[in-house]
Amino acid sequence: MTTRANRYDAVRMNREMLSSMSPPTWRWYLLAAVLGAVVAFGLYAFTVQVTTGMGVTGINRPVMWGIYIISFVFWVGLSHSGTMVSAILRLSKASWRRPILRGAEAMTVFSISVAGLFPLIHLGRNWIFYYLLPYPNQRGLWPNFRSPLLFDMVAINTYIIGSTIFLYIGLLPDLAVVRDCSSGWKKKIYAILAMGWRGSAEQWQVFSRGSTLLACLIIPVAVSVHSIVAWDFAVTLVPGWHSTIFAPYFVIGAITSGVAAVITLMIVIRKLFKLEEFLQPVHFDNMAKLLLAVCLLWSYFYFSEVFTTWYAHKPIEWEIFSFMSSRYGIMLLIMMLGNTIVPIIGLCFRQVRRSLPALLVITLLVNLAMFIERFLIVVPSLSHKNIPFIWGSYTPSWVELAIMVASFALFFLLYTLFAKFFPILAITDVREQEEVLLGSQQNGRTRLETLVKEE
Amino acid sequence: MNIETSEFHWGMVIDLDRCTGCGACVTACQAENNIPISEQDGIANGRNLHWIRIERYWEGEFPHVRARFLPMLCQHCDDAPCEPVCPVYASYHNPEGLNGQVYNRCVGTRYCANNCPYAVRVFNFFNPKWPKPLEQQLSPDVTVRSRGVMEKCSFCIQRIRRGKEQASLENRKLLDGEVMPACAQTCPPQAIIFGDLNDPDSRVSKLARSPRRFRLFEDLGTEPSVIYLKGGGHDHPG
Amino acid sequence: MEILGVFKTLDSAAAAIDKLIAAGVTEERITSLSSVPYPAGVLIKKKRLPRFYLWTLVFGGGGAVLGFSLAAGTAWLYPLQTGDKPIISIFPVGLITYELMMLFAIIGTLVGMFWAMRLPKFNRQAYADEIGDGAIGVLVTAEDGPKAEEVRESLRDSGAGRICNGEEGA
Repeated sequence: MTTRANRYDAVRMNREMLSSMSPPTWRWYLLAAVLGAVVAFGLYAFTVQVTTGMGVTGINRPVMWGIYIISFVFWVGLSHSGTMVSAILRLSKASWRRPILRGAEAMTVFSISVAGLFPLIHLGRNWIFYYLLPYPNQRGLWPNFRSPLLFDMVAINTYIIGSTIFLYIGLLPDLAVVRDCSSGWKKKIYAILAMGWRGSAEQWQVFSRGSTLLACLIIPVAVSVHSIVAWDFAVTLVPGWHSTIFAPYFVIGAITSGVAAVITLMIVIRKLFKLEEFLQPVHFDNMAKLLLAVCLLWSYFYFSEVFTTWYAHKPIEWEIFSFMSSRYGIMLLIMMLGNTIVPIIGLCFRQVRRSLPALLVITLLVNLAMFIERFLIVVPSLSHKNIPFIWGSYTPSWVELAIMVASFALFFLLYTLFAKFFPILAITDVREQEEVLLGSQQNGRTRLETLVKEE
Repeated sequence: MNIETSEFHWGMVIDLDRCTGCGACVTACQAENNIPISEQDGIANGRNLHWIRIERYWEGEFPHVRARFLPMLCQHCDDAPCEPVCPVYASYHNPEGLNGQVYNRCVGTRYCANNCPYAVRVFNFFNPKWPKPLEQQLSPDVTVRSRGVMEKCSFCIQRIRRGKEQASLENRKLLDGEVMPACAQTCPPQAIIFGDLNDPDSRVSKLARSPRRFRLFEDLGTEPSVIYLKGGGHDHPG
Repeated sequence: MEILGVFKTLDSAAAAIDKLIAAGVTEERITSLSSVPYPAGVLIKKKRLPRFYLWTLVFGGGGAVLGFSLAAGTAWLYPLQTGDKPIISIFPVGLITYELMMLFAIIGTLVGMFWAMRLPKFNRQAYADEIGDGAIGVLVTAEDGPKAEEVRESLRDSGAGRICNGEEGA
């Protein structure tokens, strides 16, 4: 421990952690260009949809909601990553969260922003989307706050603004470091962003208490956001959707995909920024245990839902499941493998929990399975509603797939840009751990015991 | 808060024992309400825009097989599931018991169609088209809907309006049977009867009290204003 | 005026603070500038903070009122029957009230934190760029004149690498 504290060198650590912000190489430009091209193609597909009509998508009667709503639910789910890692681990004082918290918080902001685009893409007349906003207008008409879509809009807005504030407050001392380490016009920009922060004792005290308060506020918002997304489905009369289990089931689903995405992110960040020193196998072990727990919970919810439907055997409700297993059998199988069988069996083993390649495969599989899960929630229920005469099914068109792929590209593009212009590692948090919490020798005017044990 | 009320509550009775499944109502509705013509692949893809459809179900195994017809249109539910889910009040409850659809407000979330257990709401996937010379016969009383909006049976609200205007010009009450939607007017066996359910002496109210009455999915509690009549299976062997 | 002494190490900064206190400068007038937070007592005792969480409460309350008036008030202004739902229904109004309450509580926390940290401050203040790289600043508020000169002397004696006034530095 002391050896590590002695090795501590603020200048070296600043330079190391700020290296991600150095002028981009041609590889970075190539990556950004490829991602930008995919996004541009998605925009083209969207233009086709706007100029031709919703008919270019695969939706039909009775499946009026398709890939757009599925992607929306998926991205909202993924946005629970930052809240999980940053807020919950902050409150539980897990200090290994420090190297990844910025990455996870940024993931929340970008995935909820991408999610927020989908309800707009999905509208039949996107160009009058502002009819949904509550503003005094000539029509004398306000939006209908009794509609779950309005709950949705309000909740998503709250989460976008809340998580951006959460990200920004955490970023503030780091922006000051970037300001101090840069020069010229860059310094001016970061000086504005850092708002004149100089790290006085009072400022640090407010910062620490305020961040904890924000963490306490953002967790109930995250829970309510995904519950409200679940209620879009659960409040309807559609067989298979109208179920009281939906809100907690969706929240657990969101946490499952969020935790899996954070593990994926930890692996990528560790590799890219050479953080072997900070992210050790034990941290992956902890996160994998958390993933195991939420996968078990998810499986429990899923079992409860299917089992009660199977036993009661109400024809219309059971029809959904039998249709699902016949028409989308392979997807159902991948979902069961990815959400239940592989993670639950695999993560029981210590070797798997500590093996990065195995974790990478498992976490990507979990998120693939979560995407499929959303598909299997939205599509089969709509395909076989109450009236057998109007039964159908759904296959997405190229326009929908292009926009879906573009949403992934947009997310990665925003993320890449963020990592280039902002410190992707929480510099002061990591340095605080290295310098203050682990180094009991350096203690100024008082002798302090080591505050945090190295896990 | 000022909630409008009305003396009328429009309702419809459909006598399934009279229905022959001829489809005249579908055609009449199409002509009356400016409904675009769907091509074959539009129908195959579930993009047809019929406001009323004849659902045909087969009962029994060959050779003891029998076709059953169920004309299906918007049920104008009193507790309509489609209405509260609309974020922009495009779908709302008219004081006369009608389930209104305001095309200009609709932004096309399609939530109402998902929540309709009768699947009678249709969506304009493309701009409407009529092959020549059908575009010459559009009714001036009915809006032509653009792409991106939801639409459905309105109980021919334009005819109800006309009827009420005529009655108030002549300073009298609206007579029973004076207003008739296109489907009821055209039905050859007169299986469709339309009228005011608030008037206990109207033909539709009398028929609605028939012991043969039933409503679709009554267990869902949607309180439809369309009442079906069906006899007790005298034509079923065994 | 504010006088800033910049120290290379934590221990020299701590010693400088001890020396200032011994010379009769009260601890309320001294603060530390650092790029990482040090636990209270390492440099400076815990300061009394303004009650910034009141902003959270006030904003949260305001948000709840706004949410209620949006959900219930707009429905009341333009009553349209949808389904059998009451014009002002309890669950939707509750949900919108909750969401806007949380939104404004978060915004209030941001405003309160900035208020308590006395930010944003874009005009020049006593600061040195080395602090970002791990140096420690000792910032003393003193009246102009002999008192300030004394503080400057004391900081120089303690080995401050650089001493600047409020208007210098960036």
